Amino acid sequence: MNVNENKISVSEIDASCRVPLLALFGGAALWLVIGLALSIVASLTFHKPDMFANCAWLTYGRVQPAANDLILYGFCIPAALGVMLWIFARLSQIPIVLPLLPIVAANIWHLGVVVGTLVILSGNSTGFLWLEYGRGAFVLLLCAFFLFAISAFATFGARHHRELHVSHWFLIAALLWFPWIYAAANFFLVICPVRGVAQAVIDWWFANNLIFVWLALVGIGAAFYFLPKFAGRPLHNHYLALFAFWTLIIFGTWCGIPQGAPVPAWLPAASTVASALLIIPLIAIAKISVKTVYGANTQCKGGPFCYIKFGTAAFILSSLMLIAQACPHFSRVVGFTWFGPAQTQFQLLGFFAIVILGGFYELMLRVMGCELPYPKFVRVQHWLFIAGLVLLVGSLAVAGIVQGMKLENPKIAFDDVSSATLIAFRFSTTGQLLLLLGSFLFAANIFVMTARWKFGLLKSGWKALNAPLQASEVKS
Amino acid sequence: MNHDLSNSKSQTSTHLTVPIWIIALMLTLIFLGGVYFDHHSGWFDAKVYGPYQSAGQLAAYQPLSGEAAIVAHGKQVYEINCGTCHGPDGMGMPGKAPPLAGSEWVNAKGFHRLVEIPQLGLNGTITVKGQPMNFPTGMAAVGSAMSDADLAAILTYIRASWGNNADAVTADDVKAVRASVGGHHAIDGDVELKTIPE
Amino acid sequence: MKSSFPIFLAVFVALGASFGGFVVGGISQLGTEKQTTVLNSTDTYPLQRTGDATLGLQVYRAQGCAACHTTQVRQDGMTCDVVLMGAGKNLRAVQKVLGEIAPADKDLATNQLPKTIFSGVTKEVAGDNSDKLTGAGAKAEIHINATGADISRGWGIRQSVAEDFLWDYPVQLGSLRAGPDLANVGARYTMNLQLQHLYAPQSVDKNSAMPPFKYLFVVRKKINGELSPDALSLPKGIVPDDSEVIPTDDAKNLAAYLVSLRADVPLYDAPFTPTVSAPAEKK
Repeated sequence: MNVNENKISVSEIDASCRVPLLALFGGAALWLVIGLALSIVASLTFHKPDMFANCAWLTYGRVQPAANDLILYGFCIPAALGVMLWIFARLSQIPIVLPLLPIVAANIWHLGVVVGTLVILSGNSTGFLWLEYGRGAFVLLLCAFFLFAISAFATFGARHHRELHVSHWFLIAALLWFPWIYAAANFFLVICPVRGVAQAVIDWWFANNLIFVWLALVGIGAAFYFLPKFAGRPLHNHYLALFAFWTLIIFGTWCGIPQGAPVPAWLPAASTVASALLIIPLIAIAKISVKTVYGANTQCKGGPFCYIKFGTAAFILSSLMLIAQACPHFSRVVGFTWFGPAQTQFQLLGFFAIVILGGFYELMLRVMGCELPYPKFVRVQHWLFIAGLVLLVGSLAVAGIVQGMKLENPKIAFDDVSSATLIAFRFSTTGQLLLLLGSFLFAANIFVMTARWKFGLLKSGWKALNAPLQASEVKS
Repeated sequence: MNHDLSNSKSQTSTHLTVPIWIIALMLTLIFLGGVYFDHHSGWFDAKVYGPYQSAGQLAAYQPLSGEAAIVAHGKQVYEINCGTCHGPDGMGMPGKAPPLAGSEWVNAKGFHRLVEIPQLGLNGTITVKGQPMNFPTGMAAVGSAMSDADLAAILTYIRASWGNNADAVTADDVKAVRASVGGHHAIDGDVELKTIPE
Repeated sequence: MKSSFPIFLAVFVALGASFGGFVVGGISQLGTEKQTTVLNSTDTYPLQRTGDATLGLQVYRAQGCAACHTTQVRQDGMTCDVVLMGAGKNLRAVQKVLGEIAPADKDLATNQLPKTIFSGVTKEVAGDNSDKLTGAGAKAEIHINATGADISRGWGIRQSVAEDFLWDYPVQLGSLRAGPDLANVGARYTMNLQLQHLYAPQSVDKNSAMPPFKYLFVVRKKINGELSPDALSLPKGIVPDDSEVIPTDDAKNLAAYLVSLRADVPLYDAPFTPTVSAPAEKK
């Protein structure tokens, strides 16, 4: 690395991320809490079916997609953008270029999530899985993403260190990926709908490319940035990482068409083959991660390192569940059962949320230039999340397999099949409660941090308000 | 946190090569995947849905055997080619074509005449159920371009529907009659028709 | 590597391929699908849903019914039955053949016909045996059956295919069976039962886990103690005796949509031999 005289200090880079990241993470934390709370509301229906019999807004079929979309669009994506922006600034060794854009983008994005959630709860959803938000929110989210991407690309393009980092591959690809799939899916399903079951094919294509590929690109991209930092040693095998990148996007993008779907046989067959081939990037990612962290003398103690290690392991496991779902015989058992939601929740909360939260806890101290208000919460949240995920994902996955095996036996009445899964909801709802509790701790940290920072700004007066970046530049 | 994230040493990564075994594993899986796809995809055929594995297998499982299937097929071909004049109910249409339902020509024991009418066409007066009829346009040789099986299916259908009750006509029967048909002009009313053996 | 061009290339190649395959390919193959004809018939399929059923699909979408219900039947395989329809002129010869291929039926008498000689066999076996019977002058038919757990459950006669969803927007396939499959629910529940089930699911199926959709109904006092013509006829005990339940338009449309859900005619891509007359003629 060339040390030139106008080299910008690390704290200056971090400080430039402060407002955009607070805007992205603040809303994300709120949506995570609300999303998890709504998913508990949804699961209450299984404990007491007539609970919301008179309330259209809280009926299961509306609350469930609203909760899922809040976790994906409300939490995962903005939080991912925040971490991505900070990694770009750090890798480029410059402050964020056009810092106003991500701030505006974050606010438009969160507005889009509000609009979309109200659309679903009021019964105006599009009816397409993971695309329920409809036109209004679509325009807002896409605009927000474009504004964000301009700033992110500008920061990337102005990098001092021209050599590409492995994470660049994953994260830049993610920046290109989202607008393409989101615009294409909305165009063909909502703006100018296609006929018949082609709608379902496009929806599956979109959902897989967002929930599996996009989250994997960002999550693994971030993990490949943070893991070497924590372990204090370089990433194991650069070329294997690029190999994992190429195979992940080439094979991963063809997954997602369920077996037995009412579409011509070549569509699910293509997905099955692609899913089997996914084992290649998984092996590569597992090998890189293990070789990078194995034997490193860094204690993680429930801190960010633990988060990212757990998240990477969860990625491997949830992807294996995805592959299993595409296996011709296993898919017959677990198709249409709770195994599918278990896999999705594991992907969203076990892999992605955990990796991003780990990144968040690591970068936030630097960005804010101060310690977290409640540093112990980090560790508590880690354990709450792990316990919650084991209960939620484990119980739903087992319930799904049991349900599937009973469904395969036509002699077992459908009511008996359903009631066999009811016991699992006790565990899964407990798991959701633990996750909600954990997300409260996350929200507490970020909101108190934001409040303190704003209070500090007010205290240091008009002058500080004019130049807030300099005021807190001194690193504690 | 005791380590600096901008540590330049860990920004770079070690440059080992991709292990050969993972590439070999990938190529093996691609090969096996290709075999699986070959067996299960129906090669992009829009009509092949799993568990059917190919267009050929799907065609084999069409319920098209037995007389019921021939009658059903005959109904389909009849309604496209004959129904516009003879009517989907076989009652014929004034000024266009005589009825087939209850017609002694249709219910005849033999099928020679019945094959020759569509094969050659028919002009002039024809007496059906004791009533002489004359149609200005006559009947073109609509059956001459049909396959033996299609014509046989139509004849089987009209001989088994609307109260008619006569034996089926097979494709071989049609083939045999067609081979023996003389001239290429339309049959001239029931005068000429009666010269053809039943 | 210093240039970011390979990343753009990678995304373009990878995502472009699946976009071309699934989105463009899917639209060009399935998005241009047209009405087809029912197998061995000239009836077109599917018919456009009625107006209230089309509106009902929007109610189905708005309530998120697809969160718990699928509308797709899966099929695991297909089997053939050989049915002897008539013995022809030479009963002896047929009995002789039967003695070779199906000893249990070797003393078959003509008054037992039609009789299923083989069931659940492959097409090849069925074809061979039916040829042997026809060779002896008998009339034999091969019946095709779709098989699978969903079909055994009575959720359908054959698997769902693209044609079944031709007119629907949005197509509500569903991905979870917290409740039963609805692809053929129109064949199982009448309009009234459907409305009662929506208002009080547990009154139709005691163990149902379905939430009641009471907000789609209006409960009001009976006028002069008489049920209005629109009111649901419910079993006693669900509402007080002096009250009646009136479905809103949404509830009626939803029920009409559910009743319109039936995909049980044979198609070329989902063939089977109907045991009774095709349902299109049953109306």
